[in-house]
Amino acid sequence: MDSLMEPTLYTIKGMCILDNDGNRILAKYYDKNVFPTVKEQKAYEKNLFNKTHRANAEIIMLDGLTCVYKSNVDLLFYVMGSTHENELILLSVLNCLFDTVTMILKKNVEKRAVLENLDIVMLAFDEICDGGIILDADPSSVVKRVDLRNDDIPIGEQTVAQVLQSAREQLKWSLLK
Amino acid sequence: MSSFKRDKKEEEEGGSNPFLNLEKTSVLQETRMFNETPVNARKCTHILTKILYLINQGEQLGSREATECFFAMTKLFQSKDVIMRRMVYLGIKELSPIAEDVIIVTSSLTKDMTGKEDLYRAPAIRALCSITDNTMLQAVERYMKQCIVDRNAPVSSGALVSSLHLANTAGDVVKRWANEAQEALNSDNIMVQYHGLGLLYHIRKADRLAVTKLVNRLTKQNLKSPYAVCFLIRIACKIIEEEDAAGNSNAESPLFDFVESCLRNKSEMVVYEAAHAFVNLKRTNPRELSTAVSILQLFCGSSKATLRFAAVRTMNKVAMLHPPAVNVCNLDLEGLIADSNRSVATLAITTLLKTGAESSVER
Repeated sequence: MDSLMEPTLYTIKGMCILDNDGNRILAKYYDKNVFPTVKEQKAYEKNLFNKTHRANAEIIMLDGLTCVYKSNVDLLFYVMGSTHENELILLSVLNCLFDTVTMILKKNVEKRAVLENLDIVMLAFDEICDGGIILDADPSSVVKRVDLRNDDIPIGEQTVAQVLQSAREQLKWSLLK
Repeated sequence: MSSFKRDKKEEEEGGSNPFLNLEKTSVLQETRMFNETPVNARKCTHILTKILYLINQGEQLGSREATECFFAMTKLFQSKDVIMRRMVYLGIKELSPIAEDVIIVTSSLTKDMTGKEDLYRAPAIRALCSITDNTMLQAVERYMKQCIVDRNAPVSSGALVSSLHLANTAGDVVKRWANEAQEALNSDNIMVQYHGLGLLYHIRKADRLAVTKLVNRLTKQNLKSPYAVCFLIRIACKIIEEEDAAGNSNAESPLFDFVESCLRNKSEMVVYEAAHAFVNLKRTNPRELSTAVSILQLFCGSSKATLRFAAVRTMNKVAMLHPPAVNVCNLDLEGLIADSNRSVATLAITTLLKTGAESSVER
């Protein structure tokens, strides 16, 4: 029976980001009893990817884990928990992960951008979940703590190329809205 | 054609993935750079990222390799670059299980956790607790207590969560921090409140009376954090079940009323947790069960697949024990048969198989 399970803060079994071939970009598993080796983890990720990459269905139960997910351009984001876990709690963590990455990458959520900012994304993972316990689920407070780059060069000191680039991006986003 | 395609793909990959085809040995060689003064923060951050990426991809580091890398990393404490410092903390956590003599960074980390820079403090606590063992814990105990009651929310949360991790190995030391955890429970920050409750429960859980007291008190005071309320519901349910099992159940348990009041909480998460609890509690009577089911019924129409999934899965459980209670939702369940999420559709069908009658076959 679910209700007799010992109440615990250890909610998250794993979080990962995969690319559109199902390869791992970043993955963290927090429970040593679930997939103790990297080989098992990757096998699970492949399996998960095959079951989820076409159907954008938000949630799946696979191999004794409840897994919520979300895809964007060429990336898939997953948060896993035990099947006894409150699915909405898992979803709140997934949303936090996704929104945090979106803010870090300035809406440019794709594989290349993630790899270019991998250090910040790693820090974000660390700030969202610590050893299976949800540390923070509010994307803006996570971003405030990890995205510390001061790359906002005043406009006078930017090169022409930089100005054009940022203008192009702004235009792109206004068109996509 | 296919080879052309592959070439193109590889080319793209090579261009877009700076981490493709990294060699462990050559990356470890690059850590020599850490010895240079002044530290080139950008380059060193990139090297750290590469190391962490390799470990994340499953590359195994030997004990000697890890130790050398760890010691090289300690040189980076000279620099004050925030991102790099944070990456060093990550590296410490990642390497501490493999490398030897990791306690060498204790004093640097203690300095960071008690320093002025809030951006260092919270992650430094968490890194410190990953290298601290039972004997050393005494030395940092005073700082840990201070951090738990710190006004900065991430610092407090970090200390509470680390204490919980430590409680598995050094339970008797952590037990002494109950007063601090209690204070954290009164925090305005929703995460601190959640972590405070988690730690306090962990410390008290062997003492039935203390837990009951704690829960009784908290159910009267409105907790702000939905996570904490969900956790409280779980503790309450455990007490209710234990009392029932012991045979001294009182029909009008205040805890039961508390769970019922959570059905009207403004957070979906809490409402679902409470409905789920009602379904699983043995003593739930038909009237309460129908309240819970009607809430799940509302969730069936949600646009979020996760909410529909959670609702149908719980109903499936109700249907196993009390099929009549779910009958009222048959129409909603039928609507979910063609759901875009296959798990939802499958669960809806299996639930209907338990509750459906001949009359619904045609539809």
